[in-house]
Amino acid sequence: MSFLPAIPEVLRQFFKRPATNLFPAKYLPSSVTKYLKSVQEGNAAINPPVETPPNFRGKILYDRDTCIGCKLCIRVCPANAIEFLPDTKKVRIFVTQCIFCSQCNDACPVDALHMSDEFLLADEDRYSENMIVE
Amino acid sequence: MVMILGVDPVLVLGGTVAVALFGMLAGLVFMGIERKFAARMQARIGPPIRQPFRDVAKLLSKDSIVPENAIPCLFNMAPVLALASSIVILLYIPLGGFLPVLAGYGDLILVMYLLTVPALALVAGGFASGSPYATVGSQREMVTMMSYELPLAIAVIAIAWRLAAAGIADPFSLATIAGTASGITIWSVVGPLGIIGCVLLLIVLTWVTPAELSRVPCDTPEAETELCGGLLVEYSGRNLALFYLAQGVKTVAMAALAVALFLPWNISWFVALSPNAALAADFAFFLLKILAVIFFSVSVIRVGMARFRITHVVSIYWGYLGGLGLLGLVFMVLDAYIGGGGVL
Amino acid sequence: MSENKKIGSTYSIPIGPVHPALKEPILFTFKMNGELVEEVDFAPGECHRGIEWMGMRRNPVQIVHLTDRICGICGVSHSLAFARAVEQIAEIEVPERAHYVRTIIAEYERLQSHLLWAGVAAHELGFDTLFFLAWRVREESMDVIEYLTGNRVNYGIVQVGGVRRDFTEDQFPRIEASLKYYEDVAGKLLNLFLEDRTIQMRCKNTGVMSEKEALELCTVGPTARASGLAMDVRYDSPYAAYGDLDFTPVLPHQYLGLTNGDVYDRIVVRLLEVVQSVDLIRQCLENMPSGEVLWEKKYPKILAACKKATGEAVGRIEAPRGECLHYVRMDGNTNPQCWKVKASTYSNQMSWLNMLKGEQIADIPIVVASIDPCMSCTDRVAVVHGERTDILTKADLHRLSVEKTRRLAQWS
Ligand code: SF4
Ligand code: SF4
Repeated sequence: MSFLPAIPEVLRQFFKRPATNLFPAKYLPSSVTKYLKSVQEGNAAINPPVETPPNFRGKILYDRDTCIGCKLCIRVCPANAIEFLPDTKKVRIFVTQCIFCSQCNDACPVDALHMSDEFLLADEDRYSENMIVE
Repeated sequence: MVMILGVDPVLVLGGTVAVALFGMLAGLVFMGIERKFAARMQARIGPPIRQPFRDVAKLLSKDSIVPENAIPCLFNMAPVLALASSIVILLYIPLGGFLPVLAGYGDLILVMYLLTVPALALVAGGFASGSPYATVGSQREMVTMMSYELPLAIAVIAIAWRLAAAGIADPFSLATIAGTASGITIWSVVGPLGIIGCVLLLIVLTWVTPAELSRVPCDTPEAETELCGGLLVEYSGRNLALFYLAQGVKTVAMAALAVALFLPWNISWFVALSPNAALAADFAFFLLKILAVIFFSVSVIRVGMARFRITHVVSIYWGYLGGLGLLGLVFMVLDAYIGGGGVL
Repeated sequence: MSENKKIGSTYSIPIGPVHPALKEPILFTFKMNGELVEEVDFAPGECHRGIEWMGMRRNPVQIVHLTDRICGICGVSHSLAFARAVEQIAEIEVPERAHYVRTIIAEYERLQSHLLWAGVAAHELGFDTLFFLAWRVREESMDVIEYLTGNRVNYGIVQVGGVRRDFTEDQFPRIEASLKYYEDVAGKLLNLFLEDRTIQMRCKNTGVMSEKEALELCTVGPTARASGLAMDVRYDSPYAAYGDLDFTPVLPHQYLGLTNGDVYDRIVVRLLEVVQSVDLIRQCLENMPSGEVLWEKKYPKILAACKKATGEAVGRIEAPRGECLHYVRMDGNTNPQCWKVKASTYSNQMSWLNMLKGEQIADIPIVVASIDPCMSCTDRVAVVHGERTDILTKADLHRLSVEKTRRLAQWS
């Protein structure tokens, strides 16, 4: 039917599987916090998110021991997310400020910085332990 | 038994309450299922079927805000009127094997008038909102109403006229049309020409339904992307919940009307059952028929096309559907005089 | 928002800055006569973020990733335009292979942007099924972009002097699979969008802009092409690998046999460009030369080269919405002395006034959406309503620009 081509299309789709990605649950739980708690306790399962590709840029990882304190990462960071710690000559990265460009990874001469595939980073506190990498 | 004006008040009151409860409950359930249908067709999962109940519960728990520019009494009265009038329509329509609660106190013509009352309530509420979006929405609703009135009237009158031509008494009574008692329906009266006519009229009614219910492609009065909800833009809380319920009841009423006119069969006509089992089976079958009507004339149409402009609504409903309805009427007339199917 | 002044038979209706029809903040004021638009005025400036100001306090290597964030959809257009400007100033030679990588990503971006637009357009028409369908189809390109660059939206692939990631042989099958997917689905999309009677009813002869108007208003991109202007930066002044590729600008008459310059033509142009992008990516894959993808791997050297550079340059590229232009001026300091972004919507937005006049309210959303506006790219000024509201007139703005140009001239 070229008059209303969408009608046969939707009727066909009616018998196919929906395309919805079920992450994290099929329907919104009536209480999200309770749901997450029961997931933690192992009483409920979470539908896994779509897998990340191999070179995904997630939360930053910092290898403190390798770092030589050259500050190059600070010079290339577009978001000014990296702070230099003069006492230890190491750096501290604020994840809430980071824009996940991974430029610091490329720039670091000793390969002390990496991107993990962790991306569920919501937090209530900008400066919580999770949100600061050092 | 105490009778007032020839009516048994207990029966009528009880029936009314039962129908009102049924209408609201079924309206919400059907709306939930309808959303599932639409979601499926759009490759989505859609909200759970109980979502409309949650929506109404949530709205009921919220404040109704009356805008500064609104006319409060009209603004607050419109939703009540819309819900009440929607329920009243249901009182005149046979529900499965049950005769209408007010059978004998009004006919098809009355139902047609009643169908406009919820829309008028919406219009009044829209004008009373004092918002330009609602005003435009109200104007559009009135134009839409006038547009679908003609094809709807043709469809209804053609059926009733054909029944009258077949010598059936009281052809405008919905109980007669649905053949609830007699088992005689329009399909058993007409000949081959009349069947063509009936199919045409069925198509007309299928298309009138979305306009009556303000769904895409005729949701111009609400038009989320144009008027942010148009008529309803200023409504919130309890008032909105009432409109929401009214919409559900109206959906059931419209579908029940279509069922009574065109899909009147009852299971008990074909299978011998004990009276109670027959009532239950007929009612279940009736719900199924309603679902089918909703699927085709609400879900499929609303996911299958874009919204009309208000000018399109007028030209399509007056021109194309009006024409189609007249053609159907002509077929019915021919059928009655030469088709041989009739008992003139 | 409740302004509803009746003036004779006309009344005014505000749309925006927050309205379901607008996915971006902008305020329209319509003077209506019944359902017809009599006069239109619009006021942008609701989401100015001062990103140029931020850029002038950072070095080009940092800015290149700030530019990714100018627009939520064009993740590579702005960074490409900026990188091209800086490369011209610092006289950096971009390796051949990097040009191809840039082209492939730019074309994937066009794919996803046009499909996103098609979905939004369908939604504005009240046709949500096509909205869901277009976005579902779009997801494939997002997945490939994520697979190639590491992120779905802010790709971060462009670097001054090349690109940061190379495509390896083992990634090609995935790209090929997506191209195949789009080739298969293209016919269905064209059928669903262009053959549908309700879409034709709504879009044909709606929001018409003639070729002459399109030229006079300096419109760019698909908006201009839909009116019959054969202009495309990729074709007119090729950059990246476009010079090596075989293509011509998409015009509506190639599909319809004639050009009306209406909303329908804009749908045609964008959908055909989706098909064209698939072809361009395929050509790139076939002709991809081997070699390095970055002019210099060591960041200190890139930084030093940028710091040494003096001069000014303009980077022009064809973003999905039209020409995107970055002006950069470097004066031997770490940070640029001036950076100016002109997004495509800036050129296209004035066409709204003509297109909307005489249309119905129902057409406002689709006509506004038909130029694929992106206000966050466009906004350069924020009018803050405080105690005093100063509205700058054209004369004021002219005076201010002259002053600024003088100031810039003195610095150098
Ligand atoms: S990933 Fe980018 S934004 Fe984040 S710390 Fe590294 S350079 Fe800064
Ligand atoms: S660039 Fe690497 S080595 Fe240098 S300070 Fe940063 S993390 Fe440490």
